[in-house]
Amino acid sequence: MAEHTTPIRVLIAKPGLDGHDRGAKVLARGLRDEGFEVIYTGLRRTVDAIVAAAIEEDVDVVGCSILSGAHATLLPKLVASLRASGASDVLVVAGGIIPEADRPELEEAGISGIFGPGTTIAEVATFLRANARRR
Amino acid sequence: MPVDAKHLAARRELAQGISAVERPGPAANQRIQQALAASAADARNALVVGLTGAPGAGKSSLAAALADVARAAGRRVAILAIDPSSHESGGALLGDRVRIDEHPDDDGRFTRSIATRGSGRSLAHVAAAATILVEAAGFDLIFVETVGAGQAEIGIARLADVLLVVEGPEGGDEVQAMKAGILEVADIVAVNKSDRPGAQAAFDRLRSGLALGAGAPQLALVSATAGAGISELLATIDEVGVGRGVRGRIRRVEAHLVAAAESHVDAQVREATASGALTTRAEQIVTGAQPLTGSITALFGISESPDA
Repeated sequence: MAEHTTPIRVLIAKPGLDGHDRGAKVLARGLRDEGFEVIYTGLRRTVDAIVAAAIEEDVDVVGCSILSGAHATLLPKLVASLRASGASDVLVVAGGIIPEADRPELEEAGISGIFGPGTTIAEVATFLRANARRR
Repeated sequence: MPVDAKHLAARRELAQGISAVERPGPAANQRIQQALAASAADARNALVVGLTGAPGAGKSSLAAALADVARAAGRRVAILAIDPSSHESGGALLGDRVRIDEHPDDDGRFTRSIATRGSGRSLAHVAAAATILVEAAGFDLIFVETVGAGQAEIGIARLADVLLVVEGPEGGDEVQAMKAGILEVADIVAVNKSDRPGAQAAFDRLRSGLALGAGAPQLALVSATAGAGISELLATIDEVGVGRGVRGRIRRVEAHLVAAAESHVDAQVREATASGALTTRAEQIVTGAQPLTGSITALFGISESPDA
């Protein structure tokens, strides 16, 4: 039984058009087993829809899975939109296929963690526990 | 076009309020009281519809379909989707948004996923409090969707003005329809997936089973995904809920008080289990070192009735 504290709430989102959500689902299930409350949004969500869902669910973390190569466009837009909505304390992390060369730019834009293939669930969980806002 | 920040401000305030009442205490109580006062001042009487049924019956899809029809008619609609927390990890996977189309620009909609957390029951302790806050935020139709349909599960019946039980096309036989449990307290039973084979037969079985009792629920045959029978079902819901007035809000406070008491007991049970006090007491009862009578008071702080 986990310690009796408020679980960290994580929105797992699939922005854009790629239709592969196996990774997102594995992560959603894995984080559940690590004691997180995971809200899964389903495929092909717009940035606006993800922001609205993050606000309504009052999540601590938004995790985006992107395999389409659109990360450089979508992720900075997502962070900016969250900030404009007053949710600047929400941690934004990303996973999927994101080239090493693109990382500095994304980190600059406010993406706190980028997890490529081979990352374990435990690594993600540890990162989120260390970096998500405290309640 | 990005979502306007002020568009989301009201939803953000409500969302944070729900998080706040998930942590019980004086601050949570104050928020609930403020919400009740606001609803009373505006004479708000939201219609709260409980949806329950077996996993896969189509509760989320049906709630989404009903919400779409109601929203198209200009009503402000909220969905509270309750799913179980893991007893092992305390985590939860909340997936109801997958079946709900997002409308980020529409302030007339609100969706929140709620985990049962420590409740150990199918209805989250916070469900009633969350409903009270959503009502105060100006939503006039609130769907509370919950897992299960265990025969003993009546927490949702306490909370909702109208209880809708959702059955799939393989729904039970006549005898199951006659058993005590959730169907007894249902106001409406909807057989979903009417586009699938067997749905009409399931509907007929339910009708003949339920017809034998007094106060039988209303029956509906619908398809959430095809949109069949949804407007008619919403009309039936409104008929059942009509004239509830302030009674609905009183019901929600009752549900909250019961949930708070259950929450307290659940916490005591967890504590007594974790500390070993429960096992120690059980051993003492077995050896005769302690009497059974008085044990519940000693362990959980609940007074026992004198002649129990």
